[in-house]
Amino acid sequence: MEDLINKIKSRLQLSSEAEEFLYSISKVKTLPKGEVLIRQGEVVKKTFFVTTGCLRSYCIDKNGKEHTLQFAIKDWWISDYIAIHADELATLTVECLTESKVIEFNTKELDGIHERFPEFESYQRHNLERHVVSLHKRILNQLQLSAPERYDLFLKQYPDIEHHTRNYHIASYLGITQQSLSRIRVEKVKKIALLP
Amino acid sequence: MIKETDTDMKALQIVKYGDIKDSLTFNEVSKPGIQAKDVLIEVKAAAINPIDKSIILGNLQGMLPIPLPSTSAYDVSGIVVEKGNEVSNFEIGDLVYSRVPQEQMGTLAEYVAVNSVAVSKKPGNISFEEAASLPLAGLTALQSLEYAGIKETDKVLIHAGSGGVGSFAIQYAKAKGAYVYTTTSTSNVEWVKELGADRVIDYKTEDYKAIVKDADVVFDTLGKNYTTEAFAVVKKGGMVVSVVGPLDEESAKMFGMADYKLPSELSNLVSEKEAAYKFIFMHPNGAHLNEIKSMVEDEKIKPILDKVYPFSESIEAFTHLASGRAKGKIVVKIS
Repeated sequence: MEDLINKIKSRLQLSSEAEEFLYSISKVKTLPKGEVLIRQGEVVKKTFFVTTGCLRSYCIDKNGKEHTLQFAIKDWWISDYIAIHADELATLTVECLTESKVIEFNTKELDGIHERFPEFESYQRHNLERHVVSLHKRILNQLQLSAPERYDLFLKQYPDIEHHTRNYHIASYLGITQQSLSRIRVEKVKKIALLP
Repeated sequence: MIKETDTDMKALQIVKYGDIKDSLTFNEVSKPGIQAKDVLIEVKAAAINPIDKSIILGNLQGMLPIPLPSTSAYDVSGIVVEKGNEVSNFEIGDLVYSRVPQEQMGTLAEYVAVNSVAVSKKPGNISFEEAASLPLAGLTALQSLEYAGIKETDKVLIHAGSGGVGSFAIQYAKAKGAYVYTTTSTSNVEWVKELGADRVIDYKTEDYKAIVKDADVVFDTLGKNYTTEAFAVVKKGGMVVSVVGPLDEESAKMFGMADYKLPSELSNLVSEKEAAYKFIFMHPNGAHLNEIKSMVEDEKIKPILDKVYPFSESIEAFTHLASGRAKGKIVVKIS
C-alpha cells in the first residue's frame, strides 16, 4: 500500500485525512495462482492495483475461446471498466496468472474520492487520459502493425511476462493463433542467432 | 422442437436396441435434477464414441444394462448453470468439460447433471466442440499410458494411430518423450505423422511385427489377435496395456470373479516374455481432465475433429461413426 501512496504523493499533496480514507476503502490481498477476482456475467464492485505478480483480463466468445484484453503486472490497475462505467454485468473475467499481491478498492468509493478530496480530481483525470492513450495505441497497433511487430512491442510493454503466461494467453492478446506465435518466436531466435 | 416448459428439454434417446436409425429418437424429456455433488451443465457440444454405437446396437446389454429409453453419449462441454450445495470447486458460469459417469449418461441433450468429481474446467484455447472431443478418448489414453508408466526414451507401440484414442495417445507419449511407433492405413499416414509419431507403419503395405522390436510398452486398442501379437514385439520384462483385450486376473478379482484365469494362450505369452499384461478400465476423473487441460493449453495435445454435426443431425452423426471412416472425433453441436 505504501508504494501506491508514495506514487500518489508524487503527483499531489495528500492530506493525512485523504490517506486515511484510502486505507479505509482498500484491502491488501495475497491471492493464489488461478484465483478469479471478477467473473464474466457478475456485478463488478472492485478495482485492483497490482503490487506483485501477474493478472489477466479476458472474455470468452460464443465458441468458448478466450480473448485476452489486458495483462497487469506491478503498478498496473485492472478491473472490468466496461461493467463499471457502462453499468453492465462483467464482460470480462480477471484472474491471477501467478500468486499475486493486490490492493483491492471499492470502485464506487474510489471513483467518488474527488468529491471528498478535490485534490484527486486532476490526478484521476491524468490517469484517465493515460488510459485513453494506451487504449488508442493498442487499437492502432492492432490495426496497422504486423504480428511480429506487435509481439516485440508486447515484450517491451510487459517485460518478463513470458515466464508467467502460457502461449495462448499471449496469442489471444495479440489476436493471432498459437501456431503463428510459435513461428514468430522461431524467426526471432533465428535473427538473433545470425547477428554477428 | 418447441420447448413445452422451462423444465423440459430436447434429448436424443435410445428407445430400443438395434439398427441406429430405428433405435434413436428425439424426445422432450424433463431437465435433470442435481444432487449435492452435481453440477448442471448447459450442453454446448457432445462427442460420440464407438461405445455409444455399441450400446445402441445392444452389444453391451450384459455388461452395461441401461433402462430404455435413455439419453445417449458420455462426452460433453458446456457451461455450469446450477450446482449442488457440496460443490465448491466450480461456480455458475464456469466453462467445463467431462466424461460423465455411467449412471449420468446422456450428453446429447440440452442439459446434463454430472458429479463434479468427473468435471474439469475446459482448456481456454479451444472451442466447445474441440473440448467435447477430448474426455473419453483422452482419459482412456492417459490412464493406460500412465499405468504403463511411460517415460523418456521408452519405445511405445500405439495401434490405430488415427483413432480417437490412438491420436491422443501418440501426442501424450510424445509429450512424455517416448519414441512412438504407430499403425494406420495408407490414407492416414501423413496426418498421423504430423501428430508426432516417429515411425508410422502403413499396415496395408508393411508388417509392423517386422518393424517394431523390443518395445517397452504396447498399447493395444484393437484386441483379438493384436493382443497376443503384442508379446511378439514387446521386450522381455515389458508391458502390454489393453483397452479391448481380455480382462486381467487382478481386475477380475476386483469385480468379484475370484477364480477367473487369463486365457492360457495369453498367460503363456506373459510368462515367456516375463512381461506384464493389464486391462485398463477408463474411469471418469476430473483431475485427469485437468491434466489434459494443461497439456492442451501448452500445445502438447491438440484435438482432432472429423466433423461437427448440428444437434438436429445427431442420428446422421451416428451413421457416420458406424461407417468407421472418421479421421478424428465426431462432435455434435448442441447450442
